[in-house]
Amino acid sequence: MSPLSLLAGLGVLAALAALAPRSRRVQLVAAILVAVEAIGAVVSIRVLATDHALMGRTTSLLPITGVRIDLTPLGALFTLTTAFVALAATIHWLGYRRHAMSSVSATSAFALFVTSLLLVPAAGDIVTFLVLWEVMALSSLVLVAHDHASRDEARQAAWWYGAMTQGGAALITLGLVVLGAHAKDPSFSSIAASARHLPGAARAAIFLALFVGFAAKAGLVPAHVWLPRAHAEAPAPASALLSGAMVNLGIYGIVLTRTLLGVGPAWWWLVAGFFGVISALYGSLYAATSTDLKRLLAYSTSDNMGLVVIGLSASGLFYASHPAASSLALVATLFLVTAHALYKSTLFLGAGSVQYATHERNLDQLGGLARTMPATSVAVVIGALAVAALPPLNGFSAEWLVVQSLVHGLASADPVTTVATTVFVAALALTGGLTIVAFVKAVGIGFFGRARSEQAEHAREVPVSMRVGPGITASACVVVGVAPGLALTAITRASAVVAPHPSGLTATLAGFHLGALRGAVDPLALALGAVAATLLVAALRRSRGPRTAAKLRSFEPWGSGRTVTSARMQYTATSFAEPLQRVFDDVLAPQHDLDVSHAVESRYYVERVAYASANDDVVERRLYRPVLALARWWGLRARGIANGSVHRYLAYGFVVLVVALVVVS
Amino acid sequence: MTTFANALASAAVVVTVGAVVVLWRHRLRSIVVALAVQGVALALTAGLLAGHEHDRVLFAVALLVLAVKAVVIPGLLARVVAATPGARETDPLVNVPASLVVAGLLTLAAFIAARPIVALVGGPTGRLVPLGLATVLIGFFVMVARRRALSQVVGLLLVDNGIALVAFLVTSGVPVIVELGSSLDVLFGVVVLRVLLARLTAAGFSDLDQLRSLHD
Repeated sequence: MSPLSLLAGLGVLAALAALAPRSRRVQLVAAILVAVEAIGAVVSIRVLATDHALMGRTTSLLPITGVRIDLTPLGALFTLTTAFVALAATIHWLGYRRHAMSSVSATSAFALFVTSLLLVPAAGDIVTFLVLWEVMALSSLVLVAHDHASRDEARQAAWWYGAMTQGGAALITLGLVVLGAHAKDPSFSSIAASARHLPGAARAAIFLALFVGFAAKAGLVPAHVWLPRAHAEAPAPASALLSGAMVNLGIYGIVLTRTLLGVGPAWWWLVAGFFGVISALYGSLYAATSTDLKRLLAYSTSDNMGLVVIGLSASGLFYASHPAASSLALVATLFLVTAHALYKSTLFLGAGSVQYATHERNLDQLGGLARTMPATSVAVVIGALAVAALPPLNGFSAEWLVVQSLVHGLASADPVTTVATTVFVAALALTGGLTIVAFVKAVGIGFFGRARSEQAEHAREVPVSMRVGPGITASACVVVGVAPGLALTAITRASAVVAPHPSGLTATLAGFHLGALRGAVDPLALALGAVAATLLVAALRRSRGPRTAAKLRSFEPWGSGRTVTSARMQYTATSFAEPLQRVFDDVLAPQHDLDVSHAVESRYYVERVAYASANDDVVERRLYRPVLALARWWGLRARGIANGSVHRYLAYGFVVLVVALVVVS
Repeated sequence: MTTFANALASAAVVVTVGAVVVLWRHRLRSIVVALAVQGVALALTAGLLAGHEHDRVLFAVALLVLAVKAVVIPGLLARVVAATPGARETDPLVNVPASLVVAGLLTLAAFIAARPIVALVGGPTGRLVPLGLATVLIGFFVMVARRRALSQVVGLLLVDNGIALVAFLVTSGVPVIVELGSSLDVLFGVVVLRVLLARLTAAGFSDLDQLRSLHD
């Protein structure tokens, strides 16, 4: 308890330190936050190393139930990941503060956000969990609304995020309270013990409530609508935390649901898997067609969380028939969660640096940043390679493990599971392809080629701290990817809290082997092989280079023998995604607007062609807008009874009171 | 015993009658005076209970009630009234005779509704609980039926006094911390409302229904 209470105390202190004068505010708060993150990391590493949960209880902080702490290895894995991402975001913030996020409210909200993110996985009972969950939701809401004064989009984002997070929290509260009512005390351990005696229908209802609530936090389709808005509008360090830490806690919630309710019948996981598949496909498709860099990353988060939920579903489905594959799927899922946290925070911090240098998020206005911002570009490229699941980075190991667990689970399952698993594998394959398109576009259009705007052309490399922040997470992507052994040991311990059956996975420092399930991969060897191959090609070119260079002149492909001299001759993000958009026209239903103006003299001459395509979220347009329109209509109807007269409002209350009194007596 | 019961009943009746007087009088000054008298009666109720139970803490509560509800709050309101001498509740939404009939009906309803509480508490204190409930209802009715902003504040205070009376009678004295909390709440509420009243008066509003012009 004591290190965590120190952590909480320092977190509150950091929130108060936001009152310091403007010139030193961010430095002071960031310094305290680094200490907070270090404590979080040390505590969780100790729990993971000793494999013993950290328990504690105090009755002084919250009335009636008190505060219960139970940091299991599972929670410790999430806390450790958060601590790492938060450290990078805090360092990045030191430079970013000159761009945004230096006000008192934003500074203290950031401190509270980091602290609550670190503590949520340590909560040991319902009340502690819900209180921390709400602190996390509200402080992040303040950060999402950061630009509310100047940007209408930020206000919109805050409304959407606030509504979705509070709706989700209501469902979570409902589910947990019903569970708690049947247990002897509100601690998670006694709930887990008593939940098995609940009738099946009640457990199913609780599972659905908790799943929907946590899925809204994780950004699964169709509850993802807040995610592209909030991630795009929040300042970079905050969006790195939203995507690298907060959505993870939605996944933590779903795993927690499994520990509380047990694995349950197969249909639970078929439902979960359905939404996972939808999210993975929908998220990757929109990522591939977005032109706003941060929206692209946000949709990719939705896609990755979909993959994670697919893994969780596979773990639930295989539990009865193939426990080893079930455990392996859980390990793979948790590995993917941590991998996603690392590469996505790298990318968001990198996007923040780009925004800092160019004041631009639209890929169609960027380009050529690899020359002007080399360090940032390296970090972003590493992040993009990892998210595209290319070896030897951590994204590759994670997705390889997920695919392996699916393939091995397929062998021994019943027909329904077989069909579901096949769909999962197909979804994974399509998603993988779409993700590569999305990130080739993000990196190729945004960082390579020529600058497409003044701002991009005159971009200057960002300050040191903003290079260090994403640098930390990018190097972690490489280290965990090349030598996954240590991380896998920790993740296996975390997974054993939920699924004690051994997965047969053994990890050496450099690689991992699936044991009885057969299959092994050695990312280090892959990495060395890749380096060797690159060196070989380079050496061959060099040895043959001088002789052939004189004879050969190189031109751009499809350039008709001319070199690209103008930025306008390049692909844009929109044109790059256009073929894909055409293929998925029925799903995306983009709105095109082609405006041809003819010359006055003759209609055969075209003076100007204006083309605009809007690619707004189809779920939002088809599902949420009608509901909102209905609510608005209802609200307008209700204005008739609310005419602004205080007396009339009082009379409503009075009449209801008197009628209630008379009826009751 | 009977002396105590009679005295308690008289004090409680004064509380309810104070509410009826607020409904009856037109002059804002008289309304504030009625509120002060009601505060004294409420303090007296608490004092009588304290004497009966030999409870020193309850006696302190009675003194607190006397200070806040009979002196400080009416004093604050009196200063608002003094700013506009001779101000009257000119055109109430429900006229005075009809209001008095409604007050009678509300008292009746209170007696009917409070039967379970009377049965539960019993004794000379329990019998008086309906009076507290009637005060609450009449106070609420004052807020509904009177136009002047000051009357609204007084209506709210009547509701609060009625609740306090019920609390005293049912529990034979509330803990001092609870009473302190609720009294301070009301005091702050009145201070805020007093400022608001002054602003409204300065802006030319005295009838709350004029605020409807702010409705979009």
